[in-house]
Amino acid sequence: MDKKTEDLIIESVIRQLMETQAQSAENNFRAGPESNSRDSGSSSEPNTLEPMDVIGVENPHNLEALKVMRKTSPARIFMGRCGARQKTASYLNYMADHAAAIDAVLMDVSEQFIADNDLFKVKTVVKDKDEYLMRPDLGRKLSQESKDEILQKGEKGKQVQIIVVDGLSSTSIEANVADAMPALIQGLGTYGITVGRPFFIKYGRVAIMDEVAPLLDCDVVVEFIGERPGLITAESMSAYMAYRPDHNTNESNRTVVSNIHRNGTPPTEAGAHLATLVKKMIDNKASGIKLAALP
Amino acid sequence: MATQSPQILQSVGIDIGTSTTQLVFSRLTLKNIAPGSLVPRFAITDKDVYYKSEIHTTPIDTRNRLDIDKIFDLIQAEFDGAGISPNDVDTGAVIITGETARKENARSISARVAKFSGKFVVATAGGKLEAIIAGKGSGAADLSRREFSIVANADIGGGTSNIGVFKNGKAIDSCCVNVGGRMLQIDKASSRITDISEPMRLVLSDLNLELRKGDRISLDVLRRICQRMSAVILECLGMIDPSALATQLLVTAPLRLNYKTDSFMMSGGVADHVYSPRPNMTLEEATQYNDMGPLLGNELANLCRTEKIPLVKPLETIRATVIGAGAQTVDVSGSTILVDEKLLPFKDIPVAIPFVDGIPMDEATIARQVAQSITSFYESDALEKIAIGLLGEQHFSFTDIQVLARGLLKGLEPLVRKTLPLIIVLESDVGKVLGQTMRALDSQLNIVCLDQLVVAEGDYIDIGKPLAGGTVVPVVIKSLVFETKQVE
Amino acid sequence: MNLRSQIKDQIFTFKSLRDLLAKANEEKSGDALVGLAAETATERVAAKLCLANLQLKDIYENPVIPYENDEVTRLIYDDINTTIYNSISHWTVSELREYILGSKSRQNDLLHISRGLTSEMIAAVAKLMSSMDLVYACKKIKVAAHCNTTIGLPGTLSFRNQSNHPTDNIDGIIAATKDGLSFGCGDAVLGINPVEDNVENYERIMRALIDLKERYEIPTQCTVLAHVSTQMQALKKGIPVDLVFQSVAGTESAHKGFGIDKAMLTEAHEMALKLGAATGPNVMYFETGQGSEVSVDCHHGVDMVTLEARTYGVARHFNPFMVNNVSGFIGPETIFTGKEVIRADLEDLFMGKLHGLPMGIAPCHTNHMKADRDDQEIGTMLAAMAGANFFMGIGGGDDCMLSYQDTSFHDDASIREILGLRPAPEFEKWLEKWGIMEDGKLTDRGGDASIFD
Repeated sequence: MDKKTEDLIIESVIRQLMETQAQSAENNFRAGPESNSRDSGSSSEPNTLEPMDVIGVENPHNLEALKVMRKTSPARIFMGRCGARQKTASYLNYMADHAAAIDAVLMDVSEQFIADNDLFKVKTVVKDKDEYLMRPDLGRKLSQESKDEILQKGEKGKQVQIIVVDGLSSTSIEANVADAMPALIQGLGTYGITVGRPFFIKYGRVAIMDEVAPLLDCDVVVEFIGERPGLITAESMSAYMAYRPDHNTNESNRTVVSNIHRNGTPPTEAGAHLATLVKKMIDNKASGIKLAALP
Repeated sequence: MATQSPQILQSVGIDIGTSTTQLVFSRLTLKNIAPGSLVPRFAITDKDVYYKSEIHTTPIDTRNRLDIDKIFDLIQAEFDGAGISPNDVDTGAVIITGETARKENARSISARVAKFSGKFVVATAGGKLEAIIAGKGSGAADLSRREFSIVANADIGGGTSNIGVFKNGKAIDSCCVNVGGRMLQIDKASSRITDISEPMRLVLSDLNLELRKGDRISLDVLRRICQRMSAVILECLGMIDPSALATQLLVTAPLRLNYKTDSFMMSGGVADHVYSPRPNMTLEEATQYNDMGPLLGNELANLCRTEKIPLVKPLETIRATVIGAGAQTVDVSGSTILVDEKLLPFKDIPVAIPFVDGIPMDEATIARQVAQSITSFYESDALEKIAIGLLGEQHFSFTDIQVLARGLLKGLEPLVRKTLPLIIVLESDVGKVLGQTMRALDSQLNIVCLDQLVVAEGDYIDIGKPLAGGTVVPVVIKSLVFETKQVE
Repeated sequence: MNLRSQIKDQIFTFKSLRDLLAKANEEKSGDALVGLAAETATERVAAKLCLANLQLKDIYENPVIPYENDEVTRLIYDDINTTIYNSISHWTVSELREYILGSKSRQNDLLHISRGLTSEMIAAVAKLMSSMDLVYACKKIKVAAHCNTTIGLPGTLSFRNQSNHPTDNIDGIIAATKDGLSFGCGDAVLGINPVEDNVENYERIMRALIDLKERYEIPTQCTVLAHVSTQMQALKKGIPVDLVFQSVAGTESAHKGFGIDKAMLTEAHEMALKLGAATGPNVMYFETGQGSEVSVDCHHGVDMVTLEARTYGVARHFNPFMVNNVSGFIGPETIFTGKEVIRADLEDLFMGKLHGLPMGIAPCHTNHMKADRDDQEIGTMLAAMAGANFFMGIGGGDDCMLSYQDTSFHDDASIREILGLRPAPEFEKWLEKWGIMEDGKLTDRGGDASIFD
């Protein structure tokens, strides 16, 4: 395939992604389940959580000092107290953040998301979430049907293969991929780097890329994967990359960019940054600490 | 991936003031402060001032202008003394302060000295900038940050006093007033007046004093003058009700004073006498430098005591401005940016701000407002380089970025036609993706797209060649009140 | 050694002592992950039955990892007092359990036999104890230790002020540390986990902590939890180090995975005594947790509880100031549920104490486990009842750098009030001087970090 055709394909992928993204915004609006309490339909103002940066200390000695210090750390500090216990507002904030974290781990990436981002879906040998959590080893193996499907629907011999993996936060995948992936594809396009059709892997761990690369014979795998959620955000995504990973690859061979989310590195900017990193990997035929050691 | 070893920048600070001229050399440490797996974020983490020149008398020629040859000789001698060649200097600032800044050849000298002294040395003259630079050099900015307080610093030089006010480390206000220790020059041997500056005539007339060049001055009269000038400083600081004289002497607008200052600091040549006043100062002592600096310091100290003004000692007195210039002016951009290296450096690029309340996510509106913002700077047939400042830390989806890129390209079409570079300065961390998107739209464009910088309408920006393996560029934003994300 | 037992009409034969120890464990995901766990509840009890009837000498003579192959085994055996061991070697594990729980045995008696017990014996007896057994036994032993100040005195409960920051921002670390201090947290140590492990960063954080400690004259100790080799560099550079920290484990190969060995720990301990800033004699701070050997794949077919006990065998060799257990930190592949964490915390507290160690606990969890704040608080209350020397203290209970949940500043103050426990004496005086505490309770100024500004 010549350069021009590739450019056309990349362009069309970007266009599709943008269109489907716009559609998904509408679809999401309609998609809410009606059977639970999520939308009451009433017009009254809902109760909301107190903002995290509220100073809860009553009659502080130096309010200004607390306000300035509050900005220096995302830690849960200066919350005030009732007796020795937390006030209701800060207690509920904690519960809400923990709930978001639990949901991020336990929920699945939606079919809608997979369709919207023009992905196809495959799976590791893991059978359910509990097994996924307790057996990291199984999250590193593709099932046979999945291997077949990848060979059938994927593209062999491209320079870069992008994979989207649920990892420990489905929420982060749904929050960031639609912005990070097209930015990455666009950036790779400006460098003239070829990209295979991206796909989604359910119940995957980082090292699943080691099975993907040999299967598709690509130079670099870029793996978007949900990070273990914290209470600060459940939306944080990482991008792991390796040059020609396989079963001999260890962690020091991988390059990682973490903390991709709207309050960390914005997903679009991360995508652009990753394109530069991938170019460097291809130019130097290296990743991980070997890449980092280059001048 | 980021290089982990820090890069050392050689920085020079040159302060050409009314009475004195000084240089400092410092080493700035530029380091990736983001932990391992994060996208790099470079910042200046350490500032080591390792060479301080002698304090020279500013050379003035017979026509009362800055003596350019002598200034260059002096600077060259200090470079030699420090064992540094201008080729080794990465950055820094030349600042012409006080009365000197108003001398007719000041601006051209400042630019020439800057060009001579290193790769990315910026030139500044006048304005409120030096008040902020002095307050950073004196330690006032840092004190306000450490103690969560509001600290005012008055840098009292030969011809002017520059007042900077800092809250939690950031400059919030500044002004400049014509009060200085060399506004009256006196021959110490004869006690005769050798020169009277223009602003001093206002002081004299306020005091109903008639003094001329050649008159012999008494300690008593000199003290009255110094007391009056001390009062003006405290008036400008908002500690005494302002008089007509203060208004006349102000070079800039007065401080807004819509805050309560917690502590005060004095720097500049006069400050040493504020912090170690001498009881019963004689006329000989008062005029030991052929001016009235020591007595002005003495009287200011007395007045602060009477008015119960809490004075804090600065880290630097006479060197505050030069240290501020040498170690505190340069900043760095965000670390994921897109720049055409061959275009840089840029100096004194005016900044246009097309959007005040966030960026409208509509291509045509963006294009229209961007185009308009340029026309207020240049006639359409006389376009020159201009930077577009995009404020706010809003979140952009990939679609938003596409819209923004198209809008910018359309709005900046006149620049593209004249093959002028597109210079975009964003607050949000999306410089690289925006740059790549514009490049994807037109691969021939000259682009400098920076992020994590806050600019304002009316600012000028200097942008140096990339550092740290091409990840960041050094910038100096010259504002009335400027604050960027410099790590203190 | 009899490795057969019968429950109802089922007869079980265990392959080895190692197999028996593993199957006698309460359920934990890590033992299942490596294929060591009992397959049925009945098999688990059968293993306990077998274990109860083994003599201590059966355990002594069958080390789970051979003496020749593993320096941790050697360290444990070389540290045993053979006279004491010989006097009790004929006891069964059941007898040992009943001696420990018996009304007559007090702290001194238990610390005496402790010198004759290998770590595996201590693990064995823990496997025959219920939660309340563990708390009951724990309560009998409280070992105090002295660095700059003393923690672990009767009637006291101390806390590590753990105000980590996701980018090691000094202002953020100090702001959160002050918040903790205003709740009375920080008498055990002001200790920060750095994001970046290098000596420059270590020094930057350490200097900030020391500056805070000196400015407010806080009677405590400071530490930055970098790798021990980083701290040794810091000691050589002359940085005033109070406490030297290291994570330790129960096998030589796991230590290799951590980049340490006995020689390095010994050198670090000697350097801390020779070059460090603290009064001593206790200058080491260890962290441990069930499953750390599993997570680095260095378990040698030994179960998590036994390996954890061996870890305490390592710790006691170095006479530490504090040993902190963080079993809940490692993740669902080793400990999956809240119940598993609580069980592990109590086992670990008991095993550490019976090793004669100044034990603390971090009853904690990550967000990908089936555990929540309630489990975390229940664990804290039980471990406090059991007489832990210290807990962690974190703003709101959420570590924004390590992304896991642990005891909060609020919990720290609460647990002192609930159980009538006091801070370390010097620290309580300091709290009173700042008007934060009166008669062991927070005053109105408590929880207001701005009193320091």
